[in-house]
Amino acid sequence: MPTFPKFYILSTFFLLGSWVDIPGSSALALDFVNDIVPVLTKAGCNAGSCHGAAIGRGGFKLSLYGGDPKSDFESIVYQLQGRRINKSNPQDSLILRKPTEQISHEGGTLFDLNSESAQRILTWIQDGATFNSSLELANISVSPERILLDRTNIPVDLTITAHYSNGLTRDVTRWSVLTSEDETAVQTSKENPTVKPIRNGRHIVTVRYLTQVKAIEVITPLVDIPAEIQIPATKIPNHNFIDSEINQTLEILKLQPAGQASDSEFLRRVYLDLTGRLPAVSFTKSFLSSNDPNKRHALIRSLLASPEYTEFWSYRFANLLRLRPQSLGEENSEAYFQWIQSHVAADTSIKDFARTLILAKGDSRINGPANFYRTTTDARQHTEFTSELFLGTRLRCANCHNHPLDKWTQDDYHGLAAIFAKVDLGEEIRIKLEGTSIHPRTSAPAVLRIPGSEINLSNSDDPRIEFANWLTAEDNPYFARAFVNRLWKLTMGRGLVAPVDDFRDTNPATHPELLTLLADDFVDHGYSVRHTLARICESAAYQRTARSTEHTKHDNMYYSRALRVPLDAAVHADAVSDVLGLPERYGEHPPGTRAIQLLNPLTSSRSLDILGRCDRSGSCDDPTAGPSPLSKLLHFFNGDFLNGRLNASGSRLQNLLAEGVQPKDIIKEYYLAAYSRFPTQKESEFWLAELHKFDTNSNRDQFLEDFVWSLMTSRDFITNH
Amino acid sequence: MRNQRISRRDAICIGGITSLGLGLTDLLDLRRLHGVSNNARAKSCILLWLEGGPSHLEMFDPKPDAPVEVRGPMDSIQTSLPGVRLNECFPLTANIMEDVTLLRSATSPLGEHNFGAHYLLTGYKPTPALEYPSIGSAVASIRKNPGILPPNIAIPRFTNNLSGNGFLPPSTQPFAVGGNPQRPDFKVQDLNFFNGLDGTRLQRRRKLANAFDSFTAETDKASNVGNPDLERAYNLLSSEQAKSAFNLAEESSEIRSSYGMGDPIGQSCLLARRLIQRGVPFVTVNSSGWDTHNNIQTLKKRYATDRNAKLPSLDRAFSTLISDLKRQGLLDDTLVIVMGEFGRTPKINSNGGRDHWPRVFSLAMAGGGVPGGQVIGSSNPLGEFPQDNPVTPSDIVATIYTLLGIDPKHELHTSDGRPVRLAPDNAEIITSLIG
Repeated sequence: MPTFPKFYILSTFFLLGSWVDIPGSSALALDFVNDIVPVLTKAGCNAGSCHGAAIGRGGFKLSLYGGDPKSDFESIVYQLQGRRINKSNPQDSLILRKPTEQISHEGGTLFDLNSESAQRILTWIQDGATFNSSLELANISVSPERILLDRTNIPVDLTITAHYSNGLTRDVTRWSVLTSEDETAVQTSKENPTVKPIRNGRHIVTVRYLTQVKAIEVITPLVDIPAEIQIPATKIPNHNFIDSEINQTLEILKLQPAGQASDSEFLRRVYLDLTGRLPAVSFTKSFLSSNDPNKRHALIRSLLASPEYTEFWSYRFANLLRLRPQSLGEENSEAYFQWIQSHVAADTSIKDFARTLILAKGDSRINGPANFYRTTTDARQHTEFTSELFLGTRLRCANCHNHPLDKWTQDDYHGLAAIFAKVDLGEEIRIKLEGTSIHPRTSAPAVLRIPGSEINLSNSDDPRIEFANWLTAEDNPYFARAFVNRLWKLTMGRGLVAPVDDFRDTNPATHPELLTLLADDFVDHGYSVRHTLARICESAAYQRTARSTEHTKHDNMYYSRALRVPLDAAVHADAVSDVLGLPERYGEHPPGTRAIQLLNPLTSSRSLDILGRCDRSGSCDDPTAGPSPLSKLLHFFNGDFLNGRLNASGSRLQNLLAEGVQPKDIIKEYYLAAYSRFPTQKESEFWLAELHKFDTNSNRDQFLEDFVWSLMTSRDFITNH
Repeated sequence: MRNQRISRRDAICIGGITSLGLGLTDLLDLRRLHGVSNNARAKSCILLWLEGGPSHLEMFDPKPDAPVEVRGPMDSIQTSLPGVRLNECFPLTANIMEDVTLLRSATSPLGEHNFGAHYLLTGYKPTPALEYPSIGSAVASIRKNPGILPPNIAIPRFTNNLSGNGFLPPSTQPFAVGGNPQRPDFKVQDLNFFNGLDGTRLQRRRKLANAFDSFTAETDKASNVGNPDLERAYNLLSSEQAKSAFNLAEESSEIRSSYGMGDPIGQSCLLARRLIQRGVPFVTVNSSGWDTHNNIQTLKKRYATDRNAKLPSLDRAFSTLISDLKRQGLLDDTLVIVMGEFGRTPKINSNGGRDHWPRVFSLAMAGGGVPGGQVIGSSNPLGEFPQDNPVTPSDIVATIYTLLGIDPKHELHTSDGRPVRLAPDNAEIITSLIG
């Protein structure tokens, strides 16, 4: 980001629309693209609710936010028999008389005849109303980009600078449009380039100038805290580079972080995150009793090297790749899953993983990764899938129009679709050079193109190679970030960019530098998933308690405490099986098959339906809503999921009772199995008092069943925390 | 505000300027000004959601005089309202038009199922920043429903296009009864005690589960004491009376067959009636199969003697619901709405079907204080766009809230405390729907 001399921020007023601030540009005449379109945008003429609507308004149509200046020029200069422009009598031009409401205008008076807007239009027409744009806008910068304030209600002025491809810059503050994502949180003014937070927290304001959008963050402390209280970042535990930016943000927001997680809390969390399982009772006991100061570090290493890690992360990768036998076929799914598994086991570089998928060829029944192309049914779908997966970007908006809130254009979308159109999606994945994808705007085959890049591809033998090279180049700004952001979410509970598949200029990361550092570290360590997971799990932020204080309870994105996350449906089902000591049967699969081992996400199972599993027909990035909580609880109460196994033959409860274990020890055992901890003294006393109410064994056994049932529905069991 | 309503005269009076040009704010301010009481009658709402985008041209806005590629292969019939025609498959509805109001000028820019469903069911265009709640979920969160039955029920399930509750707590999500109400063995799953359990055991389990969560809440300030979902489930399970609401077998076979048995919509409407009768404020009947890209004729008949295709089934279910509600004295208290996410393309496509068309589409409303026997707005002669009185989904949703006695300016709060109005700022109440 370029930095600006201070005086730039000074009186923008005097720079308005004047040309003197651009060296050597004073001779330039006003042109349509750079001078007139911003006036129209600023006045709201080309907004979706006015002439920017798909059908225009009052017979006059402009492109949305001036996305297509050529057609706007056409509309203004040539349509309506040229009455919108009157070159011999510029003052009589409709384009001037309407918005100044010298004649009736449905949209009302947008600016005065004396205003700068009107004068610009007038001068432009007097100068011959040219389209002529020697200046080509490259990007814009906003200063400041991030506004940190220690209280609300402080107005801050912004300066917006346009950067042109020829190296010139211009102050365009006056002509930029500020939009607050939430006007009740940050106020923006139409007249002045000022933002004012009125509600605590982190908020986004979007700045638009011509086709460029930038998001700025406006941040105030989450809770009202007396100004004298300081929470110095240096006083917050710092285990590695991850903590540096997190701690800085906590300092700025005056968020006193919660303390370190107990060994129990850490143990349960890291087991669930790395292996999708709860630790066995015997392991929990030995871990809790160990005095090794290095035991957390050792545990992370050993879990990452375990077969359970491979199994669980293969399941997570299968979710990511939307592996479903319904679309692939049984045999193909097996081949695909085996390939995934071998990658996870060997911790192959994610760069190679992605390249192998994108460049896959051959018989998809034998060559697993070839099924990447059989997950979707056409080139456009594949474009959307691939961009969400590897770019973390929802390109689909650009199918029909240039994305108004991002840089992606329709050409990007259809350019990538044109690449994938060269792939024959049959059982045998091969290149078919005759394949094309129709661009809806031109109704002709779209030109092959790499997203966001001006390079048009020639019809090489396999155009995917260029795409793969671009995607996995070390300096690709999306690939590594999108991937580490997913890893972050899968361990920390929320993406630094959230949702994880919605990287957008207008959706900045909560901790942008951290995202960059994580991505760089990932690239520097061979795109190793295990490496990055270890880094995250070792951070102080990961190892904080999830128990929130009054102070941290409103924080859900700054990591002042660990987030409480509902268990994934399959993990939940497996955890129940492990605690009850009896596996659930899934269709014809052999007893003991775990839910995360099911290749088919539609394997008939009411439990998994009730728990809200992802069927992989779309993205599994966000937990599916699933049935309503009422349906879930009704099933917990009366369904088979818990009731069928509480005290059935072979269950943990029945075994313990058969061994003659004392009820209070049975309770302790269940605490260890479900919560990875011993009951507190208060809890033990409570349960003992309850147990004393029973004189017969059968009554007591029923009570224990009810105890186990209640444990399995408790908040601490059904969440990872 | 909830018990105030603007009188029809006032509405017409203001409407004289432009029947739809009244901003929400104005109307509500006016209400306050006049101190007019709002006796919004609708206590409940039954929404017949026709998932997929029902064809306005084959239902409530036929174009008998248009060229055949627009008119389509079906005829239209005269109704009890002079000059108002419906598609030929609606003879029963045609007879009760004095109770029904058609809205023929709904318009939206969103022609994709997911987007359209969001817009129509929430009143807001979807944005990635925030998922808005559906009307039923908002009603569930506002109406402090003292009943045991869930306040927001979907039969047999809610549309897959949205969660329903949006930013509101999942507890306001529509409760899906599941199954197929027209099957003889239909019952809501998990309402009967598991083998060997009884009310006493369930009560103890509830107590113990609360004990666990209370221990958690002692150390975690973000954790609430008690589990409201568990409470709701427990209360429902321990009330035989509440559970019997779902038992269609209590209805006579005459009633059951009058609603129609061939398509799930018939028995779903009957179940909806049983639920609102017992005080449930919002019931969605979800009917799928309206996305007719191919052969539009199958809406009328799928094979030679078929009388259970979509249109005849809807006609039977809707008209029976209205007359049944009327007979039971419930129609004034119950707002019934028929709508989907958009209309269909005016020109029949090469597969004999119609594609998505949001620029104009129709709705039907009845009961709940909506004056019947009206047609509001119209589309142009080719059914392409509104000819007069265009209304947006935001306007429709704001009007529904108003009919239910809920101020559309009422603010809900997101989990991080952001206030959000029930209907967007620019929503305008459709005054002629408010009697």
